[in-house]
Amino acid sequence: MTLLTSLEQSAFCAWVRESGSLFAYPGILFLHTLGLAMLVGPNAAIDLRILGVGPELSLGPMRSLLRLMWTGFWINAVTGSILLVSDASTKLANPAFAVKMVLIALAMIDVFLIKRFVFRTAAPEPQRARSLVKVLAIVSLVLWTGAITAGRLMAYFGQDSGAPEFINKIGG
Amino acid sequence: MLLKIANFAHDNWLGWAANSGVPWLWPACETLHFIGLALLMGCIGVYDLRMMGFLKGLEIGPLRKLMPWGIFGFVLNLVTGAIFFAGNPYQYIRNWVFGYKLLFIVLAGVNVIVYYTSGLDKQIAGLGAGADVPRGAKLVAAASLVLWIGVIFWGRMMPFLGNAF
Repeated sequence: MTLLTSLEQSAFCAWVRESGSLFAYPGILFLHTLGLAMLVGPNAAIDLRILGVGPELSLGPMRSLLRLMWTGFWINAVTGSILLVSDASTKLANPAFAVKMVLIALAMIDVFLIKRFVFRTAAPEPQRARSLVKVLAIVSLVLWTGAITAGRLMAYFGQDSGAPEFINKIGG
Repeated sequence: MLLKIANFAHDNWLGWAANSGVPWLWPACETLHFIGLALLMGCIGVYDLRMMGFLKGLEIGPLRKLMPWGIFGFVLNLVTGAIFFAGNPYQYIRNWVFGYKLLFIVLAGVNVIVYYTSGLDKQIAGLGAGADVPRGAKLVAAASLVLWIGVIFWGRMMPFLGNAF
């Protein structure tokens, strides 16, 4: 028995899956959606600005959105871990889950690169750097779209608990 | 009455397609619904936070230029939401959670109308980084944020609290 399957059988995970409490599976799923909004939302706003939306808005101060994004990231890392271990045996076998994790990792690397090339450059950047940053913004939008798609499709590639009678209509 | 609306929404090609006629349509709309959510919260939610006095470094007047993308996210969710309704209206019409979600959306809409008709938008248009908005705008912003988070909450609770799905 692996660590994850023993965690899956723990009292806490059983509570998350089976208690029917609003604070268990439903509440955690709600927080996971709120985290998505806090992370992907502001990141999309930064990407759109980089791509030329609202040119009169200074890009530099948008750096302050990074903290909001990281808060969203950690909310989702925690809630996502709980959702994962509560359903470890089905989620780990779900191909959409693996795709989602890879896309999120790449999207977060993109966040680091945007921070490096947009928010840490003091002088007005040369043309080549500007087009590199635009590529990063497009890649960011594509990766987040992919991560959301993969996350949604998890409900169709495998069964979630929390509401077993509603197979394949809900999910993380 | 409700049943008539449901039948009207469902008894057509869209209702057929969303129900199971076009199997990929429902998951595709779910995905777009989440993307719309992210755009709405990323553009309008961030603006709300700035009005409330957070993220004060952001230039609040120009920040309004992101608004069309937040509205685009909302329209995306209105369209995909209508497709869900057409696909299976009977799970929504007698669902009190869905009722609350609609109520919160309507209240958020009223809030937007208040924001524009009260002239707050025009007052804020000229403000920059660090500027404080009028107290009325702060209230509108807090209401907006609470209502949209509420919409997400009710949406997520539909399979659990109501009897949808």
